[in-house]
Amino acid sequence: MITGSSYDGRRHMHVQIVLFDGFDPLDVVAPYEVLYAGGTASDGAVTVELVSAEGPRDVVSGTGGLMLRATGTLDPARSGLVLVPGASGRVGEPGEVPDTDAESASAWQQDEFIPVLLGRTLTTELPGLLKAAMDNPRITMAAVCGGSLVLAMAGLIEGRNATTHHLGLDMLEATGVHAVHARVVDDGDLVTGAGVTSGLDLGLYLLEREIGPRVAHAVEELFAHERRGTTWRAHGQAPAAL
Amino acid sequence: MTVEGVWDLTIATPVGRIKPVVELIRNGGEFTGVAHGAGEEVPLQNVVVDGDRVTWKQAVTKPLRLNLTFAVTVEGDALTGMSRAGRLPASKVTGRRRVTGTD
Repeated sequence: MITGSSYDGRRHMHVQIVLFDGFDPLDVVAPYEVLYAGGTASDGAVTVELVSAEGPRDVVSGTGGLMLRATGTLDPARSGLVLVPGASGRVGEPGEVPDTDAESASAWQQDEFIPVLLGRTLTTELPGLLKAAMDNPRITMAAVCGGSLVLAMAGLIEGRNATTHHLGLDMLEATGVHAVHARVVDDGDLVTGAGVTSGLDLGLYLLEREIGPRVAHAVEELFAHERRGTTWRAHGQAPAAL
Repeated sequence: MTVEGVWDLTIATPVGRIKPVVELIRNGGEFTGVAHGAGEEVPLQNVVVDGDRVTWKQAVTKPLRLNLTFAVTVEGDALTGMSRAGRLPASKVTGRRRVTGTD
């Protein structure tokens, strides 16, 4: 439980969604709208803002130059939820590897290879801020789609249970993460969603977990989206080989 | 051809090339190794030498976290082969041995 108590004793959860160059807009907007509506449905128990590692700025997504504005700097000291989206760009061929250096902070351009966009976050201040956020026991980390890979490539979720877009599961596993094939994976203070649209289900699940099932259901109904897929949780007996 | 020495590797990964430095060491009949870089030394695992062929496992931490399995062949001061990150398709690796005393 990451919700703090406000002055009148009601629970409150502040959500920071992190923008970086080449982010996938739907990975951001789906949970943003779900969580924002959750705030309305709960009379202000949830607040949401878009942030970046660099502070307030216009951040260009990986989809057709669509832009969103970060209004603040990612604050790893602020309790609540931090959500990392994936990137959008070119998926590439199986086994494709780019002919550039991993650490080159080359200028970003449209239609770049998705793993390169995700990897480029490693050359920014983002991994350091995300590490500080993960070290904060008052923060739950969430990720949608390739956002798990941003955390994984930075070495922040080694040995943890997480999911990502189905095309990224092998990469996630190669970073030392236990990759789980489920739509939402709840590993306690790390909650991750699979491909793009799973951000809706991740947002609804987080609303249910932190604020309550009735608020989550009210948003689900408003958005005309019935949650789908499996929510995996790190509880109960581990399955034997089948 | 001995495989011992300090090797500058170039590895293709999904996020771009990375260039770890690997040292292969012989202790009697056994081989061990360490990866140098970013102010840390990470021991190599399962180093197996068979003639001029070498295989090992390496946990890369910088610039990105990645578990790699190597299978390379040494020829002179050059090394070529493949590295594989988990179930991802294998990709090319090349290496150059540092000449003793100049590193």
